[in-house]
Amino acid sequence: MAYRADDDYDYLFKVVLIGDSGVGKSNLLSRFTRNEFSLESKSTIGVEFATRSIHVDEKIVKAQIWDTAGQERYRAITSAYYRGAVGALLVYDVTRHVTFENVERWLKELRDHTDSNIVIMLVGNKADLRHLRAVSVEDAKAFAERENTFFMETSALESMNVENAFTEVLTQIYHVVSRKALEVGDDPAALPKGQTINVGNKDDVSAVKKAGCCSA
Amino acid sequence: MKNNSSQSYNSEENNSKKESAFSTLDSRFNQTLRNVQGLLKGRSIPGKVLLSRSDPLDQSNIQEHSPNYERSFSYNDAETSDRMSKDLEEEVQNPNKPSNNANSNGLNSSTSNIENTSKEAQKSTMGARATDSARIIKFTKVLSGTTVILEKLRELAWSGIPPYMRPDVWRLLLGYAPPNSDRRGGVLKRKRLEYLDCVSQYYDIPDTERSDDEINMLRQIAVDCPRTVPDVSFFQQAQVQKSLERILYTWAIRHPASGYVQGINDLVTPFLVVFLSEYLEGSVDSWSISDLSPDKISIIEADCYWCLSKLLDGMQDHYTFAQPGIQRLVFKLKEVVRRIDGLTNNQWRMREPRQKAPIPNRYLHTWRSKG
Repeated sequence: MAYRADDDYDYLFKVVLIGDSGVGKSNLLSRFTRNEFSLESKSTIGVEFATRSIHVDEKIVKAQIWDTAGQERYRAITSAYYRGAVGALLVYDVTRHVTFENVERWLKELRDHTDSNIVIMLVGNKADLRHLRAVSVEDAKAFAERENTFFMETSALESMNVENAFTEVLTQIYHVVSRKALEVGDDPAALPKGQTINVGNKDDVSAVKKAGCCSA
Repeated sequence: MKNNSSQSYNSEENNSKKESAFSTLDSRFNQTLRNVQGLLKGRSIPGKVLLSRSDPLDQSNIQEHSPNYERSFSYNDAETSDRMSKDLEEEVQNPNKPSNNANSNGLNSSTSNIENTSKEAQKSTMGARATDSARIIKFTKVLSGTTVILEKLRELAWSGIPPYMRPDVWRLLLGYAPPNSDRRGGVLKRKRLEYLDCVSQYYDIPDTERSDDEINMLRQIAVDCPRTVPDVSFFQQAQVQKSLERILYTWAIRHPASGYVQGINDLVTPFLVVFLSEYLEGSVDSWSISDLSPDKISIIEADCYWCLSKLLDGMQDHYTFAQPGIQRLVFKLKEVVRRIDGLTNNQWRMREPRQKAPIPNRYLHTWRSKG
């Protein structure tokens, strides 16, 4: 298989990870981008981010995933990071019901700060802790249907569905973007212009490219 | 060679015109910037001249050190600190000679100590130990006064505190322990009791007596305690986590403008380690909290609590709504980067795309919590 350069991609999608503190956002991110999991992870202060490219329909889609601090106090700062996001994983912990109850608040915040076309997936993490389950799949599914979001249960620890969840969100974003492109016209060069969903331009690309020295 | 700091100052005059445009920013900030500019231009940092080398009798030392001084004109912060430690060593080797350094004036009163140190220092051929011995004498001197002159202590502490003196020095410098030695014991005793009172009043109560916000805050703290210094097993001991929880919750309740904010937990850990080191020997990895009596644990906790409070007093707006303190720092850092960029042909590159501010908040948060 021929590898293309790391920076070579067709689309750059910004995706945010949100949800209560301690639900496993950072571990979902490290599992997806580095295939790592740590039981001894520190709390996220402010915002962290990582990237990974995947193939969708023979296109290279680069996901730029922003991992935000879960605590309320950081909202004032993290809300700025919603800007330009085209996808979101709204994470709760299946063993802590309160984190599921707060999903509604998160969803409102997300919708207040992002474009209406944003692809949202509700993610019930820590599904490996079967004996501690406090949120049923049915409840979560019903909520997701009502709110018109995707839904998946994951386990960052067992690496269950993590890949699927991210890939699904990225594929859906890709579909939204290509559909928009069709609506606009056949000229693919015109793609990012005038789009409600900003897939990034070459300037953004260079900013990502040159940064590598200290990527976490 | 006698005064190599003047080198840097001269070069800075060239920059003074540029500086005038930014007169709104405080002078300290500008000083820091000049230091950085000096560094980037290949000059040594002015730093602090710890000892004047005007003594003509000091030939041997000058000979010995001269290659080092020459090197120190080139830029390199490691070398700069190297030079500073050489200064200290020089001081150790010639402690009896007249010196312009205010810090060493007091040394003359305890000559016997000095002579021992001097011999010791010569034996240890300029090792770090020699530096320590001289510093320890200085610290001992400052700390043993009936009233500790905090300014002197702060100046001494700037280049490091001998580990076993850290608990006393930190308590003093943070304004927790009073400088007056007659009052110190009494005040500490009263403060430690006051902390215990707070704990029983706010922490040791059933959840039914807490408001929803308080329950949420306690929950957040409980989520973060196991995630505090997760790679050091000592911090995973249940009792240590309980102590941390009590300190953080009590602080949060008493500071409602901010409450507990993620990251404050990391600020307690240096205090815990330092104050525990008064009672536990060896490295942190070998410590066991169960070796300590509940009385001792509560003293340590109280000291951590009060020192944390003192530390946060100066930066509470980093943690209040919208975090104006952080925003201010972002602005200042932005300004520094902008000006340095001008000098280095925009060497600075951002890692994050699509951020309007060159320094994303996240860096400040992370730096702060790791700093």
